Amino acid sequence: MPAAVFILHLDEMQGFVVEKRFPSTFSLNERILNLVYYGHHEQPGQEVQLHNIDGRRIVTFGTQARPDWLACFVLSDETDFGPNKEVFAGMGRLMLELAAEDPKLVDVGEIVRRRQVIPAPSQEQRCAATFTSPSSTLVLERLEELGLERSARLAIWLRDEIHAQDVNLADAVRPLMDAEIVAVEMFQKTTEVVYLLADVFAYRAPPVEALRYAEENMPDVAEQYAQLVKEFFSPDPPAKGYNPTIPVDDPNSPIVEDRRTIAGLLTKSLLYTVIRYLRERPQTASEISQTSILPERIVNRSLWELETERVAARLDDGMWVLVTDPRIEVFMPEFVLPIVARRVSEKEIGAELGKRYLELLTEKWSESR
Amino acid sequence: MIRGIYILNDTSLVYSKDYSESELTAELVRFLVSLSEFVKHVDIGEDIEHMDIGPWRLFYTKRDRFTFVALADKADDIAQINERLSQLVNVFMREFANLALTNQPLVGLDEKVDEIAVTMVKVAILGYAGVGKTTTLHLLRGETLPLIHDPTIGVSIKKLPEEVENANIVLWDLAGQSRFSILWAKMIANAQVVIIVTDSTLENVLRSKKLVSLVKEEVPDAKIIGIANKQDLPTALTAERVGQILGIPTYELVAIDISYRDRLIQIIRKAILEGKRESKSASGSSSSSASASQ
Ligand SMILES: Nc1nc2c(ncn2[C@@H]2O[C@H](COP(=O)(O)OP(=O)(O)OP(=O)(O)O)[C@@H](O)[C@H]2O)c(=O)[nH]1
Ligand SMILES: [Mg+2]
Repeated sequence: MPAAVFILHLDEMQGFVVEKRFPSTFSLNERILNLVYYGHHEQPGQEVQLHNIDGRRIVTFGTQARPDWLACFVLSDETDFGPNKEVFAGMGRLMLELAAEDPKLVDVGEIVRRRQVIPAPSQEQRCAATFTSPSSTLVLERLEELGLERSARLAIWLRDEIHAQDVNLADAVRPLMDAEIVAVEMFQKTTEVVYLLADVFAYRAPPVEALRYAEENMPDVAEQYAQLVKEFFSPDPPAKGYNPTIPVDDPNSPIVEDRRTIAGLLTKSLLYTVIRYLRERPQTASEISQTSILPERIVNRSLWELETERVAARLDDGMWVLVTDPRIEVFMPEFVLPIVARRVSEKEIGAELGKRYLELLTEKWSESR
Repeated sequence: MIRGIYILNDTSLVYSKDYSESELTAELVRFLVSLSEFVKHVDIGEDIEHMDIGPWRLFYTKRDRFTFVALADKADDIAQINERLSQLVNVFMREFANLALTNQPLVGLDEKVDEIAVTMVKVAILGYAGVGKTTTLHLLRGETLPLIHDPTIGVSIKKLPEEVENANIVLWDLAGQSRFSILWAKMIANAQVVIIVTDSTLENVLRSKKLVSLVKEEVPDAKIIGIANKQDLPTALTAERVGQILGIPTYELVAIDISYRDRLIQIIRKAILEGKRESKSASGSSSSSASASQ
């Protein structure tokens, strides 16, 4: 594993600040900090990178969301980068998430010793990210009406929609591409086209796995837990339970307003970590803190936030449970096929383009995946 | 640096100013109210006390019904913050206490607080490779001047040993080599003054026009100063000519000649003062375009 670790922060006023280092005797100088920082920013798209600086191999991790922070790992001679790349990224993600709260909370030595990580964003997190950007959401909604659209026309539409001169379609489309919801391709070398490959559905599921665990292993909490879940999903009449299948245009639909909330919860890595633990089984804040090595303060704060959003609840004995499991799922957007067919027959788009769309959809949704 | 100044009348906040966006504002305000309650019951006299919270150090003191609080960094010099807070207390008690007691608007307090609390000014030094930026940095710091070109790696950040206009000057000496140019825009963020150094050759000055545009684009509120360096060389264009080409006020310099030091510091002082005045008069008077050297 690494011989040393440090967290580097570029403060706009004071310049480079080494917020954490391990071991504490590890020495650094301005030259190394510069080479690390500039080296990393030479390839802005890459979150994890290996640099060779004055004979030392240093792995850097940084995200575009927080470009001024880097987690850096100085490799020992026997450590390979390639096979450990994901671990470095995961530890770096955890360190930077915590550092954003308060650098003091980051126990870099412990994180490295236990190889504790925040994994790369899961498919559901990447989908969630598309709802946290208003212009991505707009683009998605537009594609739900059209199936596919030329980039140029989509850009003009988006600009009119948000009344802004300088919209960047690429920025709006990127989260959708990352989540594999859309594909962007050049068509016949002249026009760039954006295709809708999947549609997304955000909802709250009953926490099946945790409930089952409680039933089998935690007789003292199982009943109270089951009751809480029932109250939310199927309360006694006349109260109405949560029903995600009411159509979106129905004013009673829980989906639209809740979608942003669900997406918000899933995109925040620390919250998401806590949700992941609660999906497994009921547990106390300090249990979560110990297994995740998130500081208890962070765990508590996350739990309170989840409680406010009616995702988690605290039982009488201090045990926390997942009441509703925030989920985002993708499905095949077959409802756009008739629309695309109509557009082809009305000569709004060429048959070749329509055919290409079908190909892309089949590729994505065929059995082999 | 001072991150925030808060003044409470009993338990209500009558004035607050944040110099760095911190997320804890609501939490902090609640804390300040309890602090103010606390000092009401505990006699701390007129001393300035401090305590540490997280990475910050909170300085507080009391006069009559008012509690004064300055939020600073742990790294700050305690004596210096004490001194500033007591300046603030004096000004406030003399000029604003009665207004605050009668709930009148505290006109002019903001400016006074800025004068007392703003402690850091970022001065970025920008220019192509080898024009003399690092030499200028050493000159400003009164250090021995290196005579060889040892290219800067990335950015070198150093403080000026003395305060200028009550502010600590943080100098950001940016590397001129093209491989480091990718972060120029980022590195000048938040600079109040940007010094664009040229070596006064026609070729270099013409190229440097791009830097002027970059600065105007990235930090439109910064004061821009042009430097016509290497005036000792026979090929040097005059500062006036360099200023005409760049379209910014430009001054002559021989960075390897220590006798230029005071002049340069005066130039920076003037830029800081003008910057302050402009941000105060906040009226839409657009920046005057091309002006020649003095
Ligand atoms: N003759 C003369 N030489 C100067 C003057 N100022 C700087 N130099 C020389 O110019 C060379 C480059 O100076 P530096 O200050 O290192 O250049 P820089 O702008 O920092 O260069 P980078 O860090 O690569 O961007 C050195 O050899 C200096 O001695 C001057 O006024 N006159
Ligand atoms: Mg230099």
